[in-house]
Amino acid sequence: MIAEILLWVGYATLAYFIVMQAYMIGLGLRSAVVMRRTHHLERFGRVSEMLSSQTSPPVSIVIPAFNEVAGIVDSVRSMSIVGYPRFEIVVVNDGSTDETLQALVEAFHLERVRVPYRPDIPTSEIRGIYRGHGAVDITVIDKANGGRADALNAGINASRYPYALCTDADVILDSNCLVGAMRRIVEDRQRTIAVGGNIRPLNGSRVQLGHLVEAGVPRKLVPRMQVLEYLRTFLASRPAWSQMEALPLISGAFGVWKRSAVIAVGGFTTGHMGEDMDLTMRLHRYHKDNGIPYRVVYEPSAVIWTEVPETLRVLRRQRIRWHRGLMTAVKDFMPMTFNPKYGKVGMITWAAMFLFEYLAPIVEIVGWITIPLAFLLGALNTTSLVILLALAFGTGLLNSLLALLLDESYGYFNTRADTARLIVIALIENFGLRQLTVAWRIRAIIGGRGTRVWGNMERKGVAHLGVETS
Amino acid sequence: MNGTTIGVIAVAVVLIVDVVLLLGLVAMKTVNRRRAQSYKLRRAEYVATLSRCLASPGSNHPIDGRAADDDAFLDAVIDMRNIVTGHEIETLAGIVDGLGLARRQEARLRSRFPLGRRLRAAVSLAEIGDETTATVLIEHLSDREPEIRIQCARGLGRMQHTAAIDAILERLDLEEAWVRARFAQTLVRFGAKATWPLVAYIRVNLRHHDNEGVVEAIRVLGLIGDREVGPTLAGVLRVASDPEVAIATIEALGVVGGPLAIRPLKATFRSTDWRLRAKSATSLANIGDPSINPLLARGLEDANWWVRRNSAAGLASLPGGNEALVRAIGSDDPFARDAAAEALADCGALASAREREEAGLATAEDSLLLSHMSGQVLA
Amino acid sequence: MGEIKRVLVADDSDTVTTVLVTALELEGYEVETAGNGIEAYEKGLIGEYDLVILDQLMPGLLGLEVIDRWREEGRQISTIMLSGVDDDRTVVGSFESGAVDFIRKPFRIPELLARVRQRLQE
Repeated sequence: MIAEILLWVGYATLAYFIVMQAYMIGLGLRSAVVMRRTHHLERFGRVSEMLSSQTSPPVSIVIPAFNEVAGIVDSVRSMSIVGYPRFEIVVVNDGSTDETLQALVEAFHLERVRVPYRPDIPTSEIRGIYRGHGAVDITVIDKANGGRADALNAGINASRYPYALCTDADVILDSNCLVGAMRRIVEDRQRTIAVGGNIRPLNGSRVQLGHLVEAGVPRKLVPRMQVLEYLRTFLASRPAWSQMEALPLISGAFGVWKRSAVIAVGGFTTGHMGEDMDLTMRLHRYHKDNGIPYRVVYEPSAVIWTEVPETLRVLRRQRIRWHRGLMTAVKDFMPMTFNPKYGKVGMITWAAMFLFEYLAPIVEIVGWITIPLAFLLGALNTTSLVILLALAFGTGLLNSLLALLLDESYGYFNTRADTARLIVIALIENFGLRQLTVAWRIRAIIGGRGTRVWGNMERKGVAHLGVETS
Repeated sequence: MNGTTIGVIAVAVVLIVDVVLLLGLVAMKTVNRRRAQSYKLRRAEYVATLSRCLASPGSNHPIDGRAADDDAFLDAVIDMRNIVTGHEIETLAGIVDGLGLARRQEARLRSRFPLGRRLRAAVSLAEIGDETTATVLIEHLSDREPEIRIQCARGLGRMQHTAAIDAILERLDLEEAWVRARFAQTLVRFGAKATWPLVAYIRVNLRHHDNEGVVEAIRVLGLIGDREVGPTLAGVLRVASDPEVAIATIEALGVVGGPLAIRPLKATFRSTDWRLRAKSATSLANIGDPSINPLLARGLEDANWWVRRNSAAGLASLPGGNEALVRAIGSDDPFARDAAAEALADCGALASAREREEAGLATAEDSLLLSHMSGQVLA
Repeated sequence: MGEIKRVLVADDSDTVTTVLVTALELEGYEVETAGNGIEAYEKGLIGEYDLVILDQLMPGLLGLEVIDRWREEGRQISTIMLSGVDDDRTVVGSFESGAVDFIRKPFRIPELLARVRQRLQE
């Protein structure tokens, strides 16, 4: 009797799993179609057209910085040569306890200025504003510590231009990323309020002077697994979501936001572990509630590189934090889930977030418990068990291969070593690494003291990654 | 057929697809690797040969005929076209012509598939800018693929093929917003030749319900900068009921208006819509007639921040405006003080005041400015 | 005339570098290259160049920053700024830093060579 129940539960998890994989494969195929089109458009030198255009809207690059003395100067310098006609850089020193501010003032010959600062979004206390007249147009806001969201809000308050690129201090911008993102805005100025970018793990790549020389697949398994994960998200999911105009999430490391829209919804939420997802969803809600035509899109050619955790310990903290952020968001936006009033966001993509991201670890754990139990109790025969496992492995591999094929349009990772490493990780990630992420997310759901974690990766500083890391 | 059989078939299908994808991936990577290496070498070689051709125009540096079909050569040519100008462009054009590149790309554009090659051909023709390709480009202004249409317009603009202006204008109405914006941009390249067709277009379409084409057209006039359209735009401003049209016109008048535009702009400076006021302030300042200084000084006390800011920035750029700003620092209105102070800081007046103070030559205004700035500066 | 003049070309674009090197070598100059700001700075310090052609937007150090650093080290090297960036900050900054000339991209080769010749005579 119990065995029967277990078996049916097991089948239920299998059904869930099939629906999830079908959704992912569907997304992947749709993304393939979208990317094929944009790939053509990307390759053929449209960059110079946008660069010489006098109608490219100016952009403020907002960089929150906390204790970034190791690499902030080099990072700002390398961002200052991003290919774009008109932009300014706004660094927000979020109450650093090291010499971040002094390093910036010295390197760029900044002066304290008194300019009126309008707190359109309330933030913690602003202690000073610095500007320079040197080669780089940079403004530094010095403020009391308030967290990343608070720092971004201050940066947005201080930015002069109608669009703000919110990013991080340890990110390497591809020189065409801003052009790519702004092109999506120029296409439809009235409606486009946010553009998300394509984030790629930097680990394993050769960096020189704050710029990517050659992309490479990391040797260590932990970052390598993440390379695949990021490809599955940024190449095989987001283009499809964007095409449906139902993008539920723009990543914090690269988002171009329309300043007035962000201010209208009150800026980033401080203290939230997933402030980027939260802002995106609030923008959806606000515009749909008020019947304002809008769109939030994703641009696959807006590529940036960032360091991802190299060890399980740091990765665990990150994943727990992400899932806690997701849990808060799911709670906050429950009324939108499966609500036809919110269009495709409510009915498809956010619903899928809830079902396949939030519930997934629970369902998977249940599956991992009930199916072996059913097998042991004799309700499930060996053949069926093998079939189930093979299906799980096979479809997971399918999604990974799809993502890898989509990646071919970029032309990275072509050496024999890189190819081999990618294939190996695609084959073995389902044997242990993925299960770990599930376990961590369960831990996040259980909650408690150990889950109040904040990201604080050891920052080596982007410009010092002169050698291949792992 | 029981569950197990279905399961086995499903597994088989999935695993076969996996193997196919895997092999496909490995194949693609191998091919791409070789292609990328070969491309880099060929392109470097082409750049070197082309450089020699440009540096010593008289001598003969033959280029292999196969280059005409080679994307690497095309990229090298386009790259070089963006680096050099003047007579060198003609030399490049001559080389390109000699290889029959334009004809080849035309043929590709005319073919029906594949999209990638057609698009590539359109971009190449746009970049090469050979007048003999104008006919094909005009033909394809109504291509079924929007990006190709845009590239054709772009190419025609670059080569300033006047006969195409009307064809491009016609399309402004037919296109979606994002395509329309790009089409309008291509008109800028024509420069003054596009002026009167644009004016005609605006006149015809101004009273239509859907004014977006008109807004773009007005923006383009501003970018082209031909002063002769000043009176026309002033007229448009008087009858414009759509705020978007008004805003675009105000901006354009700031560039082309001249003194005749001051009257209508003074009127819009008093509009109830803050956007019109703010834009008017900037445009009035751009015209550069110091007689509007008192008006802008009043703008420092406007309720809206953008109006104050633009008025202050405007005063900073006008002769005699600095005095008005310094006076405003002593004003009762804190917002006016702040707007004036920021403008003075931005334009360097603050730095000069400091220097004079250090040299012991500070004037009364300098002291006023400096004391305001240091008023609430924290340690 | 005199001994052969040595020129340093610093630009991160391979195409620009090739064009400049080809043109300059044909004129009879000895040319060396640098691919980024730091390399340019270092070469400028140790090498004995009669003229430097410097791009503004380079990784590592911007062109203007390179000139500033040379000045800090007491090096006065005749520099022509070559840049596609056209804003006031860059143009004015170039002259304030001590560059002797500023050429916009796209440029004319004969004009560039004429200016090089001129600067080398000074």
